[in-house]
Amino acid sequence: MNALKLIAGALMMVALAAGSAAATEIFDPRTKSWVRYDPSRAMRYYQAHGSVPSDFRRQVVKFRTAEKPGTIIIDGNKHFLYLVLPNFQAIRYGIGVGREGFGWAGIVTVGRKAKWPRWTPPAEMVARDPKAAKWAGGMPGGPENPLGARALYLYEGGRDTIYRIHGTNQPWSIGLDISSGCIRMNNDDVTDLYERVKPGAKVIVLMQGAALYRGV
Amino acid sequence: MIVPRTAAAALALVAATAVAQAETVIIGMPDWPSAQVTAHIIAGVVKDGLGHDVKLREVSTVEIIGAIDRGEVDVHPEVWLPNSAAVVHEYQNVRGTLSLSPRSVAATQHICTTRQTQDETGISNLSDLSNPDVAQHFDTDADGRGEVWIGANTWSSTRIERVRAKSYGYDETMMLLTMPEDQAMASVDVAVALGTPIVFYCYTPHYLFALHDVVPLSEPAYDPQTWTILTPEEDPAWLARSEAKTAWQPARYHVGYATALKESHGDVAQFLDKLAISADDAEAMSYAVHVDRKDPQEVAAAWLSDNAARVTEWTK
Repeated sequence: MNALKLIAGALMMVALAAGSAAATEIFDPRTKSWVRYDPSRAMRYYQAHGSVPSDFRRQVVKFRTAEKPGTIIIDGNKHFLYLVLPNFQAIRYGIGVGREGFGWAGIVTVGRKAKWPRWTPPAEMVARDPKAAKWAGGMPGGPENPLGARALYLYEGGRDTIYRIHGTNQPWSIGLDISSGCIRMNNDDVTDLYERVKPGAKVIVLMQGAALYRGV
Repeated sequence: MIVPRTAAAALALVAATAVAQAETVIIGMPDWPSAQVTAHIIAGVVKDGLGHDVKLREVSTVEIIGAIDRGEVDVHPEVWLPNSAAVVHEYQNVRGTLSLSPRSVAATQHICTTRQTQDETGISNLSDLSNPDVAQHFDTDADGRGEVWIGANTWSSTRIERVRAKSYGYDETMMLLTMPEDQAMASVDVAVALGTPIVFYCYTPHYLFALHDVVPLSEPAYDPQTWTILTPEEDPAWLARSEAKTAWQPARYHVGYATALKESHGDVAQFLDKLAISADDAEAMSYAVHVDRKDPQEVAAAWLSDNAARVTEWTK
């Protein structure tokens, strides 16, 4: 069992013990179901350390690959995003994967980028969540916006997919499979990535972990 | 293919001869690096050495031979055997529209793992994957089965890897993934970076073996008695009725070309019969394209420059 699963498992145990009614859910891959949990433990960690657990801090790592510098590789299993650098190195960022980021993998490109992107909740979220319903017509960008500080819109064959790499207003959620969002990064990281990545960059989403979850 | 074949056939003999000399030789280009470099090498020699117009056309390997039969493509830079044995038999021996160069490059195909995976999990034989406890090491989505990449959708080998998985029994314990090669190779890069276990289809010549410490899983040596491969065209129940319980037959690949070239462009056919690219050449091409990120055309030009004397010999 890897560190991520331990963290996720610990969070779920906290949630179950507390009988939390928090709206946020985490995906339990063992039961293939969404489990409610209280994010306070992760939030406390984040507040105490001012950051996510060390594995998910942005860092340069050794990374031997044939992909050219500027390529993004997303590992939804370990919750890492790699930006390939020259000389067999990469910047590794921590990510969270949301329900919208489940069940897909492939090779796409960064079609466009946006600062403080506008967010429009999906219809089903509007239907179930009064807070989201308030923004049915679109929520302006800003600190409360769930897309966070930056968004990279992923295209396939020149067309926008529904998939994005974006920031978050819940930085403690990095490293987890949280119910909303797509590929989430904390705002500092997504801003760093935004500055480094050019439109047209290749994005490889690995076919493993969350990418293999179907119908959840 | 010779463009436009039907129009040329309608012309008078003398005129037809003149037209044939001017016709464009179409070289098919599959989606893997050594084939792309070889396609550019062939294009360079046919154009600059033999003086014919050439055109490169990107076509998947499963489509090229059919395109050669239809007269739409003239050359396939890498026809893999035994992967394409059934279709080669049909077009070479039955229909007579395909010819293979007598020269070939030795190749191998396996299911591979990383050295670290082998050290940490103890896996050494392909048959180990049919053990659920071993397969668990390769499970990333917690469904109780591991995952293994068996090739790209467009590859001839992928269907056979499915047969092999069934024959060894790991189709029950492992999810068989098909995806483009770049995506699969990125998975290997990530697994190496993190030291996580991974198993995947592999072939030589390939840059991967110079990039990472990769080892093939052991299997009983190829035994033709254990291999029965049917195609979906031959039998809708091809998977159930096919078997492949031992290692791949040591593979090889040849340049394939339209038999019609022997008449219309005899010098091209003679050159293709002599063209000899080694396995070391092919691995170097693969590494230059993928890891050094050189353009296949640039790699081909360098190879042609380094091998000018051989090329001259082949085009005499």
